[in-house]
Amino acid sequence: MSTTTAEWLQDVSGWIGNGREVLREYWFEYLLFVPTLVFLLALVWGPFVRGVWMSFHDWPLFGESTWVGLDNYAYLFGWDALYTSIRATIIFSLQTVLQLVVGLGAALALTRISSFRDFINGIYLIGFTMPPVVTGTMWYFLLHPQFGPIQQYLTDLGLLGSPVFWRSSGDIGIWVITLVSAWTFWPFVFLVLFASLTNIPDEHYETARVYGASRIQQFIRITLPQLKSAILVAISIRIVWNLVKVSQPLQMTGGGPGYETSILAILLYRFTKEQRELGLSFSVGVVLFVITLVFTVLFIREFERATGEGGETA
Amino acid sequence: MSTESGRFDRLRRYPEDVFWGGLKYGFVLLLVSSILGPYLIVVLTSFKTPQQMFASDALIPSQPTLENWVTAFTELQGSLLNSLVIALGTTIIALAITIPGAYAFGRKEFPGKLLGFYGIVLALLFPYIVLVAPLSSLWIDFGLYNSVAGLWLAYQIFVTPFAIWILRDFFEKLPANLEESAQVYGCSQFTAFLRVILPLSLPAVAAVGFLSFLTAWNDFLFSSVLTSSQGPQPAVVVLYLTISGGSGERVFWGQLMAQTLIIGFPPLTLYLLARKRITDAFAV
Repeated sequence: MSTTTAEWLQDVSGWIGNGREVLREYWFEYLLFVPTLVFLLALVWGPFVRGVWMSFHDWPLFGESTWVGLDNYAYLFGWDALYTSIRATIIFSLQTVLQLVVGLGAALALTRISSFRDFINGIYLIGFTMPPVVTGTMWYFLLHPQFGPIQQYLTDLGLLGSPVFWRSSGDIGIWVITLVSAWTFWPFVFLVLFASLTNIPDEHYETARVYGASRIQQFIRITLPQLKSAILVAISIRIVWNLVKVSQPLQMTGGGPGYETSILAILLYRFTKEQRELGLSFSVGVVLFVITLVFTVLFIREFERATGEGGETA
Repeated sequence: MSTESGRFDRLRRYPEDVFWGGLKYGFVLLLVSSILGPYLIVVLTSFKTPQQMFASDALIPSQPTLENWVTAFTELQGSLLNSLVIALGTTIIALAITIPGAYAFGRKEFPGKLLGFYGIVLALLFPYIVLVAPLSSLWIDFGLYNSVAGLWLAYQIFVTPFAIWILRDFFEKLPANLEESAQVYGCSQFTAFLRVILPLSLPAVAAVGFLSFLTAWNDFLFSSVLTSSQGPQPAVVVLYLTISGGSGERVFWGQLMAQTLIIGFPPLTLYLLARKRITDAFAV
């Protein structure tokens, strides 16, 4: 997917200079593409720009808005809950690592199993395909300190002294929602990696075995390089999507106690739906947007660096 | 390298094979039970009466009842219908927009293609939650707040990038020159697309349709922010309100679990039907 500057220039210089001719020649292609373009501009970038404008206002859901300049940001950055929320967000995004480990393991194991493959694959997808509110509600019950069966078994078995009230303890609650979210979404990583694994030709492994490569060597020299772009795609998407998932943790803790389990996405939701302060909501959005961008760019850069070096020796 | 040494090799590796084999099956078993276990408890709970819930810890209901399912369904009826209408409309609009777009990206060359494609990848990676504030105010201004059409439009934000991605992949993999042959037989650019490419793409279109449907069915964020209790609230929002809105009220766990299964079943079915196409598109 690497693109050279020359290709870019060619692509862009196509319409600079002779725009009318290009339009005449490619009218059909552009006609096909116009609906998509309009929707992208009208539904994503347009509202985004308007949001930036809104964040300089005191903007209630209904009623008049007033210009406040940078007040929203000043308020936000001077507010302790923001830092609680950022801390929670960082813990919450650690699930990406778990999802990679489990998803990769599951994909590797399943490519090496020949029977019941479709069946197992189907089971993996059950939790992932259901609405996160649904799985959140299920875990809310399953882990409920008084009525949930899991804590009951653990206390009966003596593994747990007394039930843990995780909804009223932010320190435990944040880990509970992180783990449940990891449980829900690892199959996405699995799906992408599994699809790519089945595309690696068997001959690669046969050759490696002829030369006496161990399993670990085969994994490092054949599997990982072949999976490189799949991992890149799966993890970039997961980094972003894990940060924007709001419904499941919201269902389980409501963001409380206080703001202790309010990851930025929940904070943003609470400002929009509960406080109805849209200007503040978007300024939280800007913080979230920047964090997402930083995480994604850092990941892609580090990943390219790590795999680039590995690729040279292989 | 003789066969003798090959056999020797295999013998020598035997304990290693056992180790990796054990690890492999052990891990699969762990994952399968980590999913089936919770679901088993949920299903069994959905057949328990409230009395049974509190009377004993037994996993299996002593006198299974369908009452939970009946009440759960009756309570959700209206909102399930909302979910259905919202998801169907989203799917139809998404297909209408993305089929032509994906066709252009998959099988045509034109200046600006690369730029457009990166625009779509960027939209796929866009943290769409930041848009809830501007969308709420815009939707109120345009009278789309609390309307089904408003949700149809809003869902395009995360349905279209995905749909284009998958369809583009499928179009690209169709044999080259299909259109040219069609044009030899007198088709125009447009009829070649309509009468040759589109019929061939029906399986992929169906898969993308299913995926759009379940994405819209599953979403909580937009439907919660862009509707109020007077509006067309879908089933997931109603389910959310049973816990968070029920202030101190007694929770009927059996009924709640029946509700989760009722809402969760349609997307699961659709996904399993469409999964082959969806996974193909993600083989990068």
